[in-house]
Order: sequence, then C-alpha cells, then structure tokens
Amino acid sequence: MASPISVYNSNALDTHISSTSRESLKMELLADVSLLPGEDRIIDKDIIYICPFNGAVKGKVLITNYRLYFKSSDADVAVMLDVPLGAISRVEKMGGASSRGENSYGLDITCKDMRNLRFALKQEGHSRRDIFELLFKYAFPLSHSLPLFAYVTQEKYEESGWNIYKPMEEFRRQGLPNNKWRITFINKNYELCDTYPTVLAVPFKSKDEDLRRVAAFRSRGRIPVLSWIHRENQAVIVRCSQPLVGMSGKRNKDDERYLDMIREANDTPKLTIYDARPNVNAVANKATGGGYEGDEYQNAELIFLDIQNIHVMRESLKKLKDIVYPNVEESHWLSSLESTHWLEHVKLVLSGAIQVADKVSSGNSVVVHCSDGWDRTAQLTSLAMLMLDSHYRTLRGFQVLIEKEWISFGHKFASRIGHGDKNHADQDRSPIFVQFIDCVWQMTKQFPTAFEFNERLLLTILDHLYSCRFGTFLYNCENARDQHEVRSKAVSLWSLVNSKMDIYLNPFYTPESGRVLYPVASMRHLELWVTYYIRWNPRIQQQQQSPVEQRYKELLALRDEYLKKLEELQLSDSSPSSRLANSSTPNTSSTSSTPSQQYTHLQTPL
Amino acid sequence: MEFSDHIKTANVEDVVLRQPLHPPSRGTVCITGHHLLFSDREEGSSRQVLLLLRNIDAIEKRISGSSGTITIKCKDLRVLHLDIPGMEQCLNIAHSIETLSCLDSVSEMYPFFYRPPDLSLHNQWGLSSPEKHYSQIKELHDKWRLSTVNSDYSLCPSYPPAVIVPKSTDDDLLKKVAKFRQGGRFPVLCYYHRKNGMVIMRSSQPLTGANRKRCREDEHLLQAMIDGSDKGYIIDTRSSQQAQQARMTGGGFESKSSYSHWKRLHRQMERGKALQESLIKLVEACGDESHNMDRWLSKLENSKWLSHVQTALSTAGLLAECVERDGHSVLVHGSEGTDSTLLISTLAQLIMDPCCRTLEGFLALLEREWVQAGHPFQQRCAHSAYSHARLQQESPVFLLMLDCVWQVWRQFPLALGFSEALLLRLANEVYASNYGTFLCNSHQERCALGVTENTHCLFQALLRPMERDYYSNPLYEPTELAIWPSVHPQSLQLWRGFFLRWTEHTRQLEEAQEEIRNMVIEWGKLALSDALSMNT
Repeated sequence: MASPISVYNSNALDTHISSTSRESLKMELLADVSLLPGEDRIIDKDIIYICPFNGAVKGKVLITNYRLYFKSSDADVAVMLDVPLGAISRVEKMGGASSRGENSYGLDITCKDMRNLRFALKQEGHSRRDIFELLFKYAFPLSHSLPLFAYVTQEKYEESGWNIYKPMEEFRRQGLPNNKWRITFINKNYELCDTYPTVLAVPFKSKDEDLRRVAAFRSRGRIPVLSWIHRENQAVIVRCSQPLVGMSGKRNKDDERYLDMIREANDTPKLTIYDARPNVNAVANKATGGGYEGDEYQNAELIFLDIQNIHVMRESLKKLKDIVYPNVEESHWLSSLESTHWLEHVKLVLSGAIQVADKVSSGNSVVVHCSDGWDRTAQLTSLAMLMLDSHYRTLRGFQVLIEKEWISFGHKFASRIGHGDKNHADQDRSPIFVQFIDCVWQMTKQFPTAFEFNERLLLTILDHLYSCRFGTFLYNCENARDQHEVRSKAVSLWSLVNSKMDIYLNPFYTPESGRVLYPVASMRHLELWVTYYIRWNPRIQQQQQSPVEQRYKELLALRDEYLKKLEELQLSDSSPSSRLANSSTPNTSSTSSTPSQQYTHLQTPL
Repeated sequence: MEFSDHIKTANVEDVVLRQPLHPPSRGTVCITGHHLLFSDREEGSSRQVLLLLRNIDAIEKRISGSSGTITIKCKDLRVLHLDIPGMEQCLNIAHSIETLSCLDSVSEMYPFFYRPPDLSLHNQWGLSSPEKHYSQIKELHDKWRLSTVNSDYSLCPSYPPAVIVPKSTDDDLLKKVAKFRQGGRFPVLCYYHRKNGMVIMRSSQPLTGANRKRCREDEHLLQAMIDGSDKGYIIDTRSSQQAQQARMTGGGFESKSSYSHWKRLHRQMERGKALQESLIKLVEACGDESHNMDRWLSKLENSKWLSHVQTALSTAGLLAECVERDGHSVLVHGSEGTDSTLLISTLAQLIMDPCCRTLEGFLALLEREWVQAGHPFQQRCAHSAYSHARLQQESPVFLLMLDCVWQVWRQFPLALGFSEALLLRLANEVYASNYGTFLCNSHQERCALGVTENTHCLFQALLRPMERDYYSNPLYEPTELAIWPSVHPQSLQLWRGFFLRWTEHTRQLEEAQEEIRNMVIEWGKLALSDALSMNT
C-alpha cells in the first residue's frame, strides 16, 4: 500500500564531508555525497540500477576506494544506494555483448548484508569492463595487494576506541587476581597459543609448566582460561577448545588435574563442562584427533548443547536471505521461515547460554568449549556474561564484552567475514557473530529497560562488521593484529560510537546491578529481527522510524535533566531521594485497574 | 429461578488453587451467583482470586478417589486448576460453574448487580451518539441531516434511533431503502473526512435476489451520497463469487448497470465460524505445553489468524486509500453489515483520523461503530476459544479488530494515545464484564432491558483519572498524518500480550512497560514543574 521514498542507504553509516574530494567530483548529481577523509573517487558512470522494488532506475554510480554510491537521475524515483565495498562478497558480469532483452547486460553484485545489487549498462564498446575491473579490485583489495580502507582513512576522533578494553582493568573490575586465580603473561609472545590474547587468568595453583602441558592436549593450544567470575559465589566461566582425545581415547593427567583445580577454586563438588556441539559431532571429532572429556574427568559432568556448526549456520542464513530478498515470501511466510531453522538455531544458542548463566549464578563453575573454542564458545560465554553481569549491558561495557570474548579470544573475523577477499565461496565464512548480535537483540526486546544501548548500536556494529572502515573487526586474532599494527594504523569502531553516544542510548535504561536476565528461549517468544534482515525492503520497514528516534532523543534529554535535578536535590539534602526509588521500580500498587490485579486485590461485597 | 437454586455447595475449604505465574496456594472456594472467589487460608494474607463466572469458557472435572480436580478455562485464556476434597463437593461446584457461567438472561448478569461505591447510576452513560457526532461535525450540516426515522426501530431493529443521511433524501425514501437492505440496514454515514469532504457509509447487502430486483430509492440514496462527484466506491467484504451466490438466498450486490457511478471492489474477508475456528486453533497452539515446539511457526500459520489480521488491515487500508488518496466516498458492506463491515470502517478511521487515536476518541469510535451500530456482542462473544459447546453465532470479530489495532500500535509507537493495556482490558471486557457496555445485540435490546439505567458504562469508567493515566500511551505524540500500516506478513506479529498473556515472559514485558510509563510520567512532571516555576 504505502510506498515510502526509497532510500536504501543504511542510516548507520555516517559520513563526514570532505570538501576537497567533493569539488573534484564536479558532478551535479553526485555533489551531495559526502566522502570520508582519505576516501577517493575511482570511477563514475551513467548506469541503470535494477531496483527490485522500483524497477530499472537510471542514474549515476560512483565508486570510491570505500563505497559504491548510486543516485537516480530521475527526480520521480528518488533512489539512493550507499554501500561500503566491504559489504560486497561477489561481483559478476551479467549477460554478454549479444544478450537480448532490456537491461540484460551489466553487473550482478552479491552482498554480505542480506542484499544483492544489479546494474545494467549499454551493450556497446565494452562499457562495463572498466567499472567491473575497478570494482573487483577495490571490493577485494587483499586479493589485489591493496590495503584495506581502514588503513587508508584519515578519520580523527577525540577519544580513541582502542582504549575501551584493557584486559588488566577488566580483570580488576571482576576482582581479579585473588587468592584462587592469578594473571599470567605466559602468552605474551603468543607462544603458548597463537590465537589467544597475551593476558590470561588461570587457577592460582597452576604452574606455567602445567599450562604448557595442558596446551599440548587442547586443540590449537587453547587452554581453559577464565572469562568471568561471579563476585559473590566465586563461580567462574572458563573457556577453551576440545581436548585432543582422538580415536585411541588418549588421556592427559595434567588436563584432568587442571580442570579439577578450576572446580576446587570455589569449592563446589562438581564442575560442569558444556560442550556446545551436538553429541554426534563431538564423537565424530575424535576421528580428526579431537573429542570430549570422558569419565576419566572425575568430579565433572559433561553436557552437550546441540548447537550446529558454522556450515549449518551459513546455510540457514542463506535460506533466510532467499525468502526475504529481493522478494519477501508472502503466502507461506511462517512455514518458510520455519524451514530456514534460523530462529531455532538462535533458540539453541540462547538456551545454551541460559544454562551456563543459571549454573554459574547458583554457584557452580563451568567450562565451555566446542571444537576450537572460537565460534559457539564465544557465543555462549559472551551471552551468559551479558545475562549475569549488568556492566556488559551498558554502552561501554558491551564494547568491552565484544573486545574481550570475541576479538581478543580469536574469533576468526577475517575468515568468517572474508574482509577484502574475493573468495566468496570460502567454506570458512559463517555468520556466527551476526547470530550473536541477533541473540542480543532478542534479549533487548525481552528486557526493554535492561540495556543502556539501543537497536541502532547493534545495526551499526553489523554494518561495520563488513565495511572495513574500522580496524575493530579485522584479522583473526591478536597476534595478527599486532603484526599488522591495526591499533596504531587504523581507527576503532568505538571511536565513532563513543564520539556521539546519545544516538545509541536507550532512554528507558534502568541500571539494576544485581539482576540476572533470563530471556525466554522458546520459539513462541522469539521474533525474526525484521529491521535487520529485511531492512532493504522499503515496504516492510518499520514505519515512521525518524519521529520515533526524535522522540527518544527528547526523552533522553528529559531524563538527563531529571537525573541532574535529582543529583542537585541529593546534594542539598543528603538523605536519599525517594523519587528515584519510585521511578525505578514499577509502581504497580498505584492502580488497581488491570484485570489481573483487579481479581487479586479487589474485595467485593458478595 | 434464583441463583441459589444452582448452588448446592457454596463453600469448600482446603482447596488447592494452581494458576499460572503463582505458586499453588491452599484456601477456601466460594461460589456466588456471579463469582468464584478463592481466598488464601494463610493467616494475615489477604490474597484473593475473584473470577467472574461469566469469564469461564469451559470446565473439565476429573474425579480420583474421594477428591477431584476442576480445570477452569477462562475467556481471557487463563487456565486454573482447583483440587477439591470430597467428590460430591467437587461435582456440586462444577455443576454450579457450568450453569451459572452461561446464563441466558441478560438482566440476571452481573452488570445489573455491580454497584461500586465510586460510581453512580446517575453518571452519564456513553461518550458518543449519532446526535453528538452530527453536532460535532459542522461541515456536514450543509448536505447531511440527522434522521430520526428509526426512532421506534421499525426500519432497522439493529440501528440506533438516529442516523446521519444525505439531506436530499427524506424519511419516506429511507423507509423504502430499508426494505431493500438486509435487516433494514440502509446506508448511513459513519465517517466524514475533513481534509477533502469525502465520507464513509456503511450498510448491509442489497436484496436484489435471483431476478436482479432494483430499488430506485436505494440508487437515489447512493447517488445523493456522492452528489457532485464523478464516482464512488463500494467495498464489498465478500469475494465477487460469494456476492453472486448471495443472490440465490435473496441478497446480492450493486450491479454496474443500476449503479453506474459506483465502482465495486471485492475483498474476501473471513467471518463467522471460520474466524472462530481460527481462534480455537491459535489458542490451542499457544497452550501446547509439549516440549516439541519445532512446529510452532507452522501451527501459527495453520491457524490462519495472522492472515485474517492481514486481510482486515489491508482491506481497511484500501478503504482509507479510496477516501484519503483517491478522494472518493465509499460505501462498505458485506452481507449483514454487522461484522467485517464494522471491522474495516473502524480501522480505516483509525488510519485516517487523528481524533480517533486519542484514548477518548478511540473509545467513542468503538461506541459508535460497534455498540451503537449494532454488532451483536451477545451472540458473538457468548463463548471463546475453549468452549466445548456447539458453536452457534460466536465469532471473534471484535477481538480481531483489537488485534489489528495492536498491530498499528506496534508499528506506530507514538501515534496512538492509548496503551496496549487498554486493548487487553477491552479484550477481556467484551467477553465478561462488570459493566453493561457490551451487553445485548443492539441499541433496541439495551433500551428494552434498561441497560443504561441499571448498569455502569465501561467507557466512562475507563476515563476516570486513574484509569486514564493507566491506559494512556506515555510516548504519544499526535500526528495529523494518516498512519498506513504495513500489511506484509513480515510486518505482522502474534499479539503475544494477549495470546501468551499468562506466561512469565509476557508478565516481564508488562512490568517493563509499566516501568517505562512511570519513568516518562515522572520526567514529564519535572518538565511541567520547571515550566510552572519559570512562569511565576
């Protein structure tokens, strides 16, 4: 019915105006594109965008070393595209010089962010050759010995996002080291484990030789180390990779003793090991030298969480894309959605994390692993930590969580996303991090007052997961990041985010430090994240997004003013204000008009 | 017969109540003419559960040995269990509930007995009326008039005494038109679009029958409606095939040859039994406690409820498009004109008219378009999704309307002045209520029983200061623009607040909503006090 103006650029990709490059463009149509400092025009061209929602749209395309920008020349159909080249996974030629049919000759671009783009050109004089070659080159710079844009950009921010996460500070915040856990720098040269960070927390009783021997028995040396400790009950979340049990059922006394040290640290009778994989997959891993902890691990119980591997997740999201882009499935939407299994996977990840969080909050330490401990393990530990620790639910705390559990612990962003790499069919690619952000979104929907950040932050993070504009998600591990000097040569995404925090804030955020969040991981309560997965379709988009954002901004201002007033009151009168207490707890007794309350509170004369 | 004749056992002690979201509790059950009361036995605790018997849709009893369990399934979708000691007591209680929960006589229903101290029967009853509606829209007075031709309900038993019709049509003409429309529901005005002067009228189907009968007066009335305009639209809520078939049973549609200035648009909307069965399937899927929830989305789809929501919203969107975008007047009808017709005229007004989006405006809209327009509440809402009784005239059209409004509310979180809590409250009240508002099937029936004199008005009660606060949307920001909902299946959601109401998750969300409301109100107070202190 309603067809709003078709503007498909992601509002989260903010740009700065660079006046010099703007002058050099000298094209009226493209004059309003604001380029980033360090962003340069590569080529521009008259082109036809085959828009799945408006049909063929004539206009001009501009390729820079950062983005593909298109604007329609026809004033009636205002179509604009602003796509970071990093979001492109595949560029192909469509049709040939002799193809028949209108607009059959051009380019077909597959994107990593749930859309495809098709452009048509005139069928004469190899009109697409230059744009195809340049696009191919700049979309996949690493395949052409070119630097990623993160190394080219000249963006400057007041605060450096690289300072948001300091491992020692974060350990101290958790109350570490203490008499049960010590901080070790054994990995400072990445010799113990080349995919781990340099600073690790391990049982106080463990010696460095123990760690080396355990490393020999864990896949890729990813030994069990502490991710999080519960301040009151001292239960911990420990992460690692699978033990190298193999077909012959090898044992390693050091590994067994090491896990028992973890259990002893808070003196619980049993250590729970969560293996994220389905049981059969864990067994199958024995054939390639891996496996799982058997009965030889005394005082430990092993629970499989049934979460599928990266290949299953990739295929699931691919199926989802098939039913939402370019056309949304209309007649059997729900059963089609069901057949992608995407929500079911989200459910399993969430319910795994709930089990971890529940175990820890009831005082039992847990060990979490999958095969290598960098995909499902990262999902589970970070989600459980988000449920347990309200600090991670703040805007800055969430950045710390991602830096810590994902980036520093070697989630292979480069392999999973394929930054700057032309090999679109690489079997290593998988939307594991997207799935994690989806789980976070589900939690924010279920607890609208528990998170300091809003949906826009999540969208921004996912946009820049691909964009290659920031150094944050580049490379597979800290070791590689050090080698490529990311932190000195590229800008952190958190620099951008923290330079204008207010647009990422949730006005209704109510800090509740002790609260453990248990989301409901039932299919009935999960929703498809439409505003992310189907955001390119103008007909599905949530309506009136901007007035809502405007209103939320006003509310934020009102809230800040309120809090300021409150502080003044508290200063002038040292007694704690009762008004704050009122505002942060639901004042249910003030009304007796909801039916449920009516039945339970009302005393009617009979 | 007295109520007491149905109550063999009024009190049972030592009963265990199990209900969602609460731990089991032990106490006393008491049955009265209209209520089931459970009071906690614990000393010092005053926890009570007071349940209108009318709210009970179905009960199941299971006797084992000397005790029994009664499972109570409510129309608000709550399921309670009572473990009752003593077989006879259990059977007596069950019998009382079965009989008293579906009394037929309206004047014996609870609204006639409900006398809260803070309400007086002398208070004003209702918010709106055709007279008031007419007097409020001055722009109408040129070409439209208020007719009292139905003051004795002789033309149309389901219409109110006064209706708005074109000025150029006299009452004699209306009498003839009424004979040509099913149930006498001749076309009347229900909405005037101030922006362009176009109107929505509604009626029932014309009685053209198999031999294509014509009625000049009916044609004249329709022509008068679009006086000065080149054409009008008729939105028929049946498929054209259904409309054709209706001729075999005396009904029909406005043919092109007789109504040359009218363009007919057919949109098939599910009604009656099909809608009720859809609700039953949906509620069954929602209540499925089995762990194997793999097929949840398929079950949801198979219930077809969301596709009914989609059809209703898109047909309402079509209606609003005709009026707002295309600039033409529209006549809406299906067959009887008491169900899907009202559904889409209500939703279209919500889409176009900012006045209908305030708390008061929305309640007035419901009063005009459902209560006064003669939606047969008593027939449609006698039973809900759990009932084992043979379906008669039940159909959850009003609930479907509330669901559609909720979808709009979700898509436009700022545009409506009322909250989800209001929609939930209305969804309960329409099935079982302390108030008289949703009693009977028509204005005429309500007058005959003295409903306005002997019961309290729900809409008035909802506008008392405390209720008004509670049911207001704290984020409300009025907009003059039309709000066009997206009707793609991807944009529609299950109304979890209603259908999964009795789950932990929904309660958490309700609490969070409440928290947000209190927060915003608190901040707003500060801004207000600042503004005041600036002025002084």
